[in-house]
Amino acid sequence: MLLALLLCYAGFTALCLSMHRHYSDLLGHKLTPGRRLALKAVGWLSLGLSLWAGVAARGWDIGLVEWFAVLMASAVTLVFMLPYTPRLALVLAATGLLISPVVAVRQLLV
Amino acid sequence: MKEGFRQAMAWLHTWIGLLFGWLLFAIFLTGTMSYFDAEISHWSQPEIPLRPLDSGASVELAQGYLQQHANAASRWFIGLPDERAPALSVMWQNPGKPGERGTFVRKLLDPQTGAEVQARKSLGGEFFYRFHFQLQMPYPWGRWLSTAAAMVMFVALISGIIIHKKIFKEFFTFRPRKGQRSWLDGHNALGVLILPFHLMITYSSLVIFMSMVMPVSILTSYGKDTQAFFNDLFPAANAAKAAGSPATLAPLRPMLAVAGEQWQGGRVGRLVVNNPGDANASVSFYRHGGDRVVHTPGTGLLFNGVTGELESESALHAAPLVIAGSFYGLHMGHFAGPLLRWLYFLCGIGGTAMIGTGLVMWLKKRSLKHAQTGVLPFELKLVQVLNIASMSGLMIAVASFFWANRLLSTGFAERSGWEVNVFFISWGVTLLHALVRPGRSAWREQLGLGSLLFVGIPVINALTSDYGLTVSIPQGDWAMAGVDLTSLAVGVFLGWAALKTFVGVGLPAIAVGQTKRVKPIAGKPAPTAHEVH
Repeated sequence: MLLALLLCYAGFTALCLSMHRHYSDLLGHKLTPGRRLALKAVGWLSLGLSLWAGVAARGWDIGLVEWFAVLMASAVTLVFMLPYTPRLALVLAATGLLISPVVAVRQLLV
Repeated sequence: MKEGFRQAMAWLHTWIGLLFGWLLFAIFLTGTMSYFDAEISHWSQPEIPLRPLDSGASVELAQGYLQQHANAASRWFIGLPDERAPALSVMWQNPGKPGERGTFVRKLLDPQTGAEVQARKSLGGEFFYRFHFQLQMPYPWGRWLSTAAAMVMFVALISGIIIHKKIFKEFFTFRPRKGQRSWLDGHNALGVLILPFHLMITYSSLVIFMSMVMPVSILTSYGKDTQAFFNDLFPAANAAKAAGSPATLAPLRPMLAVAGEQWQGGRVGRLVVNNPGDANASVSFYRHGGDRVVHTPGTGLLFNGVTGELESESALHAAPLVIAGSFYGLHMGHFAGPLLRWLYFLCGIGGTAMIGTGLVMWLKKRSLKHAQTGVLPFELKLVQVLNIASMSGLMIAVASFFWANRLLSTGFAERSGWEVNVFFISWGVTLLHALVRPGRSAWREQLGLGSLLFVGIPVINALTSDYGLTVSIPQGDWAMAGVDLTSLAVGVFLGWAALKTFVGVGLPAIAVGQTKRVKPIAGKPAPTAHEVH
């Protein structure tokens, strides 16, 4: 569930940053078209991978339920953190993305 | 044309949301609590000891106890302890007179010694679970009303999606400290971000009560006898008649081992022995609900009670039943481990909060006009009173239930009923209080009292029992500690909410902070300098 959670959260953060208003609010400068495309790609790819991570860990029935649960939890966490601690919200996503390969290797080995 | 439709949907969403909002808030809150029903029951019956789990030994002890105390019973029910419910429960049905149902007797046993546990009488989590769909009304009215509420919730969800113009554009938007805007943002964010849960929980509740929602197909084939429909669906529930000649019941423990093999490590949740001590004895093993998502009532392994051999396995194959069972299982969440269970709980809180924010918004929007005079017309005052009593009042009632559990004497025969009475009496008192006090003061006082009561739950537990946090945490009794700690967190939240009502007294909240914007965190506020990137 951890890998799915990290990927979901990072994915939503990337998708959030791919929107002009959020990008300039959070990072203080304007979003370029190339970066927008890259963020969208990273976002959707992470969400897709998170589905794989959830199902691979627990099978289709419980894995799918868990995936939905972390999907909703990560979106709610992100949205309600952004106005209060935007820096932490972004740092969490970056950290999650960075350690997700390690968690993925661990999930594949165990 | 499209705007007309959207407006009609907005009207629908607004008014059914108001009419059923109070009831739905209570259903969602108590339903959310029911994800921890076993833990709440454990808290309210702390006398039941926490033992290492050993289902083989438990079954043996239960059989010994029942053979000694209920040898003449027509049926035995054995519920095995698991990591959420520590008691070994045994129940038996005495043979009834012809044409009558025999009476049931239920006892709780210590799963290590097999001795009866003298636990205080309390419904515990069962009360909140029952309330969330029966609403403390006589059968079938409560179920009817909650099913109607579920239908309304479904309509409110769909109409809510339709009238939300910027689902994707404002997907990540929450702007705090902006009065009405913030309430709407919060309502929308909770609605949209947890939408899969909302749709699942609402639709599944309609599936669970489908024989009440859409009875026509059953009524045309079975007439008024809906039980016959369920007997056909789940034939394992129909047991063979007793032969009348005595025979010794085979030991149950080896059958349990066979069941474990048959299910490849799956756990047994409960077992039923039909006609124990009779030549026609049979034993049914039912799988633990935590093993699978799909809820499969009445399916299990059937053993011959005299020879101890496995006779048949009944399983669900019909696709509609598996689908219905999936929705049932998803709604109840029996399969959820601790982490997923907490996520279920948080989703439930999100749903409850969505309903609450909707109710608050309805009133805020309409009372703006009266902000100058500060006097609400009768219909708005009524909504305000009901808002206060249904939200903060319900919190007080819930806390009172827990207080009553610790304060009513353990030997008091009617205590279980009185816990429930205390719940409803305190709820009633909060309604009266909301009637006589001005709106903001009523909110503040009720939230404040609720906060004190919830913070007091771990305190009263530590003072009146031997199971306070200083004992439960070192012991690793996380169900007990979890209820205490969650109460503490709820108390702190209510206290925070009570303090919030002091902010902006006398000012229309919408005027506060309207010009504030989220500051960029990069620390360099001049966007033009970065356009080259």
